[in-house]
Amino acid sequence: MSPDRLAEINARYHMFSAISPEIPEDAGFLFSAKDNLTSAGMETKCGSRILEGYVPVFDAAAIERMKAAGGALVGKTNMDEFGFGTFSVNSAFGVPLNPFDPERSCGGSSGGSACAAAVLEGHVSLGVSTGGSVSCPASFCGVYGLTPTYGRVSRHGLIDYGNSLDKVGLLSADAPVLGRRLAEISGRDPRDPTSCAQPELSLSGKRISSVAAPEEALRGVSGAVGEAFKASLDRIRESGADVETISMPSLRYAIPAYYVIATCEASTNLARYVGMRYGRQDGDLSLGFDDYFASFRTEYFGDEAKRRILLGTYARMAGFRDRYYAKALRVRAHIIESYKEAFGRFDAVATPTMPFIAPRFSEISAMSPVDSFAADFLTVPPNLAGIPHLSVPCGYSEGMPIGLHVSTDHWREDLLASFAEDWSESFKAERAGVGQ
Amino acid sequence: MKIGLEIHVQLPTRSKMFCACPTEEAEAPNAHVCPVCLGMPGSRPVLNMRALECGIALAKLLGCEVAETTWFSRKTYFYPDMCKSVQITQYDHPVGTNGSYALDGGKRVRIARIQLEEDPGKTKRVGDQSSLIDYNRSGIPLAEIVTEPDLSSPAEAREFLKRLIGDIRHALGLRDDGERSIRCDCNISVGSERCEVKNVTGLRNVERALAFEAVRQTKVLRSGGKVVRETRRFDEERGVTISVRKKEMEADYGYIDEPDLGIFHIKEMAGRVSVGESPQAMAARLSAEYGMGEKAARQLVSSSVGLAALFEELAEAAGAEAAKSWIGEIGSHWKRAEERGADRAEIVRIVSEAAAGGMNDVEARMALRAHMTGEEPQCAEGARPDLDAVILGYIDSDPGILDEIRKNGRASNRIIGHAVKATGGAFSSSEIVSAVGRIVAERLG
Repeated sequence: MSPDRLAEINARYHMFSAISPEIPEDAGFLFSAKDNLTSAGMETKCGSRILEGYVPVFDAAAIERMKAAGGALVGKTNMDEFGFGTFSVNSAFGVPLNPFDPERSCGGSSGGSACAAAVLEGHVSLGVSTGGSVSCPASFCGVYGLTPTYGRVSRHGLIDYGNSLDKVGLLSADAPVLGRRLAEISGRDPRDPTSCAQPELSLSGKRISSVAAPEEALRGVSGAVGEAFKASLDRIRESGADVETISMPSLRYAIPAYYVIATCEASTNLARYVGMRYGRQDGDLSLGFDDYFASFRTEYFGDEAKRRILLGTYARMAGFRDRYYAKALRVRAHIIESYKEAFGRFDAVATPTMPFIAPRFSEISAMSPVDSFAADFLTVPPNLAGIPHLSVPCGYSEGMPIGLHVSTDHWREDLLASFAEDWSESFKAERAGVGQ
Repeated sequence: MKIGLEIHVQLPTRSKMFCACPTEEAEAPNAHVCPVCLGMPGSRPVLNMRALECGIALAKLLGCEVAETTWFSRKTYFYPDMCKSVQITQYDHPVGTNGSYALDGGKRVRIARIQLEEDPGKTKRVGDQSSLIDYNRSGIPLAEIVTEPDLSSPAEAREFLKRLIGDIRHALGLRDDGERSIRCDCNISVGSERCEVKNVTGLRNVERALAFEAVRQTKVLRSGGKVVRETRRFDEERGVTISVRKKEMEADYGYIDEPDLGIFHIKEMAGRVSVGESPQAMAARLSAEYGMGEKAARQLVSSSVGLAALFEELAEAAGAEAAKSWIGEIGSHWKRAEERGADRAEIVRIVSEAAAGGMNDVEARMALRAHMTGEEPQCAEGARPDLDAVILGYIDSDPGILDEIRKNGRASNRIIGHAVKATGGAFSSSEIVSAVGRIVAERLG
């Protein structure tokens, strides 16, 4: 794959925000990385104009390890600004188009990664999930998306959205690749203390033998998604696993708790972007520093970034902190407990990934911010709990893929890796027809 | 008048608080920096555990309750020298709380909390229109010690600071780099509302800034005005404080937990960190707790911290009065007793018995002398060290000595000298000379 050929494909789908000038022919494998993972010597913008021109001096740990395993980084993938979105429409550098239908979204925020995984043969892309940003685009683009346990993959070099939620994950159309690459990028890294508590990943081939399906998961999903989900549960039963419907009422509190915690953390993470030190720095130096900072942030942050900064700043103000931030932390602890209870009896919890198929851009522009926040109600709970999860293609409606979402207990990525492999043998996923 | 201080102390670590950059003076601005202390996107902090140990040591020194679990918070504010626009500090669960520190005369200044935090960089103004930023200081570990408003005059605040800094230097092994290294935020109220004078450097300036503020607030109140709650800064050249911002303009720092560092369970670590009580604190405490004159207490501590500790054991066992009346006698034999390694428990027993009326003063004095100096002839034979074993031990450790003695008999003086020292005066010199002579003769055959 030459950079020129990649540029041609990119002209059609806008999945890359930067393409490597050279791609070695003898590379063991090719990979791309979401543009919120730092790449030494290669522009890294997080979908934001405020970081235009930022060339990091170091590789993110996940990129470093992919390279060490023989991978060649071919490009940085397009994304919602700093990961803020469900449809990848909040990027300052074009919107990636769904390879199944260019009128529709790739999902977000790792939309470019899912698009690259769907279109490029034998490709694997590093995505990042905060509240479902790997699963959602995997589902919309009909590929496999694996998000490991929080702390499994070092966040060194991950440009923070919500530090207590961010996880580096993998997207590929090729299921067996997920486990293989996960083994390469995971492991303790002293540069990220939260990665240092993990037990070793052992891909022993153990299989999921019991699955819980929370009844709450089918409320508010489209008819086609509901049908595909039921058919998937039947398929799981046929493979010999037990499937049982359970109730997890606390899941409905996950969305508000998630948005409070994520925006609180995000608003502090984004405070550093003030037009000094890195990224754009071409402001009016005659201004006082406060005005200079404000002018930059006003000019170069997109609307969704501003919305989340305001939300997060509000929720952590003295006087509101206990009502929002502290309470959200308690809700999170409660949700983790509900999962622990479920995993006491079952190996996995299954739901649809997204409540609908990839929406058209015209439908997205009609959504309110709250509508699009709500679209994440199935992917947010496992992200809030920090448990590993996997989206697999499980059906099609109107020619668009539907995803099945499977979560397991902390550190049990081994069950997800074997599930993905088994699934890919029994379910024949369709490749996007275009772009070959 | 009420004065409370927030004192910033730089901790003696070799590398910065959250990265491996050195803390020593750099040869040029922005030389000791890396992606972490420049706040580059994608970098993250890793705690220097030595900073945590120092924080625990300070908390212990100031009699604080040391937290079992501690964590860090993000304080968000925008200033060019704060590279992340977020300072990593402590908010909810600082390393120490509820301590106190005594002044001369026994007055206690309550310590509200001790928190760890990173220093920002430095802003240097160059001309009217521009400033330069040096991030060498960014990420240097600090402890902030926050007192309750228990100080009652600028002079007292200065005295407090002077002693406190002396003790901290003693406890942490900080080098004395002059008073310029001490930075303080000073809170003062003459009436009911307080003002904060931020970032005052050095003891003298703390006293000057507070004195100016006291006079200013008094004048405002006398003329029928109201003191407004505000933040002020101290102009060192002119010796005045200047309003920086009013209360309603004060920043809301929007504290949240620092998710990258996690929670530190420090109970075990705190058990390992020990701080000797500083001499100043001990003298003040002895004076306050046992009704001893301040001068006497200081003298006792300065003659020997070990003797002062024994005083406390005596007071515990036999009462403060007995301890005070016997400590002089004990002090006169102290050096000897220490050299001989005399058992402290026996001293305590003798004094306790005397206090309980089990022996009279003369008997007790004789018993103490006998025990501490070993000079009393009645001292039991069995309590004496085994002289022969000491001599044989020396010969075994240096067998060449026998050849030397063969050539020159005076070489046996080395053995004699050793035996005198090793038995600590339990034997007369003639006893030792004859024992050495006997053993050497046996060995030489």
